[in-house]
Amino acid sequence: MKMSRIISIAWGNMKQRRLRTSLTTLGVVIGITAIIGLASLGEGFRLEIRNRMQQGFELDILIVIPGSFTTGLGEFEPQEVSRVRNVSGAASVAPLMTLPRTRLLNEEGEPLNALTVAGVNFQELAQMLPERLAPLEGSIPSAGENNTIVLGYKACFLNESTRLVNVGDNVTVQFGAAPYNVTKELKVAAILEKSGTSGITNFDYWAFIPANTTFSLMKREVYNIILVKVSDVEESEEVGRNVEAVFDNPYSVSVLVPLAFMRQVDRILNIVQIFLMSIASISLLVAGIGIMNIMTVSVMERTREIGILKAIGAKSRTVLTMFLAEAMLIGLIGGLIGMLTGYGISYGFAYGLSNLIQSQQSSEVAYRTQNPERLSINPVFSPEWTVIAFVFAIVVCVVFGLYPARKAAKLDPVNALRYE
Amino acid sequence: MAKILEVREVQKSYQIGKIAVPALRGVSFDVKEGEFLAIFGPSGSGKSTLLHLMGGLDRPDTGEIIVDGDNLQKLSDDVLAELRLRKIGFVFQFFNLLPRLTALRNVELPLTIAGVPERQGLEKAASLLKLMGLEARMDHRPSELSGGEQQRVAMARALVNSPKIVLADEPTGNLDTKTGWEIVQLMQRLNKEKGQTFIIITHDPHIAETADRMIFLKDGLVEAVKEAPRRNA
Repeated sequence: MKMSRIISIAWGNMKQRRLRTSLTTLGVVIGITAIIGLASLGEGFRLEIRNRMQQGFELDILIVIPGSFTTGLGEFEPQEVSRVRNVSGAASVAPLMTLPRTRLLNEEGEPLNALTVAGVNFQELAQMLPERLAPLEGSIPSAGENNTIVLGYKACFLNESTRLVNVGDNVTVQFGAAPYNVTKELKVAAILEKSGTSGITNFDYWAFIPANTTFSLMKREVYNIILVKVSDVEESEEVGRNVEAVFDNPYSVSVLVPLAFMRQVDRILNIVQIFLMSIASISLLVAGIGIMNIMTVSVMERTREIGILKAIGAKSRTVLTMFLAEAMLIGLIGGLIGMLTGYGISYGFAYGLSNLIQSQQSSEVAYRTQNPERLSINPVFSPEWTVIAFVFAIVVCVVFGLYPARKAAKLDPVNALRYE
Repeated sequence: MAKILEVREVQKSYQIGKIAVPALRGVSFDVKEGEFLAIFGPSGSGKSTLLHLMGGLDRPDTGEIIVDGDNLQKLSDDVLAELRLRKIGFVFQFFNLLPRLTALRNVELPLTIAGVPERQGLEKAASLLKLMGLEARMDHRPSELSGGEQQRVAMARALVNSPKIVLADEPTGNLDTKTGWEIVQLMQRLNKEKGQTFIIITHDPHIAETADRMIFLKDGLVEAVKEAPRRNA
């Protein structure tokens, strides 16, 4: 018997029992809706988290520090820095020297709010972190301007209303222990925009001075942080290993790879996603049991019909296929509808959720990233998940349809014909 | 004439609870090709069991049944199904039409199972329904047909695959006498015109009398065989 005829007969049988078929299919619809909905919503959620983290973390920048958090910090020699510059996969390199025991004073002798004073090459750093070193006032000094300072936004304020320093003012740098006999006058070249919290640190409390100035203050030419911008984010770990390898003792440096952290978060989100999906899958299994139940009843009701089919020459396999075709059609239709409703519901949810989070966010007063943008979860249409869910629907239906279908196929024709 | 069907020492019993109830206790006879045979007997004599065995719907406990040269004992279930499809047509007391399908689709069903293309199958089914005088009733469902009409649809279905043997189990048992006679006459006409072998089971002696030969079954044994004088003459 041809498959197309078997399917059309199965379809006829299903139409005959419209209400029953619809209710059975509804179970599959709910299961697939849950799976697809969670998959697309979860994927959208994951992407949003990833985006947010990318904004905050500057994933493409590796942070190289001497020593480790536990062994204490050391210093980098200039030749070590130049070796890092030659590492393959590094697009640009910016070394920093953060000065210990340093105070900044304005023209009135009041200390500025700068927590960290770092010697840098302004242009190098501005190129690497253009968004972080965006001047609010003034401009980033060029390489030649030595006696200048760039201040983070909050370094210039005592509180919201009291401003300590303006562009063009002079700032005194006091270095070393009291009575601060090593000092230096620098001119404020730029005040930076608020950059907010970030993966590296909060530059709002930083002050940047030329690297040469730090060398002269310290009387040594050393650095203690090297920022490495990688040309391909995905190769972060690789570049990190290359950086370690240029040092005589790779154990003497720590390379922080933000991507590795990201990946870990990604893995966690993945596990959560799979967990949610497996819960959703349970509803599909329940639907499968519903199919088994209904088909078993259906086989009993149609016992005589099965007997007739067998008497006029239908093979057991044909009867089996006929019932499996019904189960398959339920899976197919339920899967298709479930896919549509799944995506529909996930868009609805995403919209509602985004609004909810947005209203919560605006009511809080706290440090946010530069622009506390509206959190937007966009459900992701994933072809893989769609195909998997669809196949899963059909497989579940066929598997649960197998028992009643086999029961039908095994019916003894003589008994089946006698069945009233 | 060649033998189309042989029944050899067939025994069959049914298990009812723990007791084995014998239905057939060693039955043997031959059926010639083109013969119109009546198997006659009271209820419980094993007639229906015998018919099921001859049609390959069931298997005997012992003995052999040979249909058109094939020993049914040696055939697998699938091959038996194939044999029922190609060589045997069944007509039942309760018609056994599929209620959801129209008369035409009911008749086409065996062709569908045989994989005959739909258009060709419907043509063949329609021509048989015409032969049965049902051209006006083709698109009716069984529930919209009278008993006699339903039985003629069932006959058309039995004949649509051009089987060598038609097995009829009390075909008139659920019809009034007049309609029953019409059905029997139709069968005899087809038997003469197409040369197909008909084996009908009946407990109506008048119908049994019209056959070429009558096998009288009682308590699972052949009690008598009676040749009709009309054909032999």
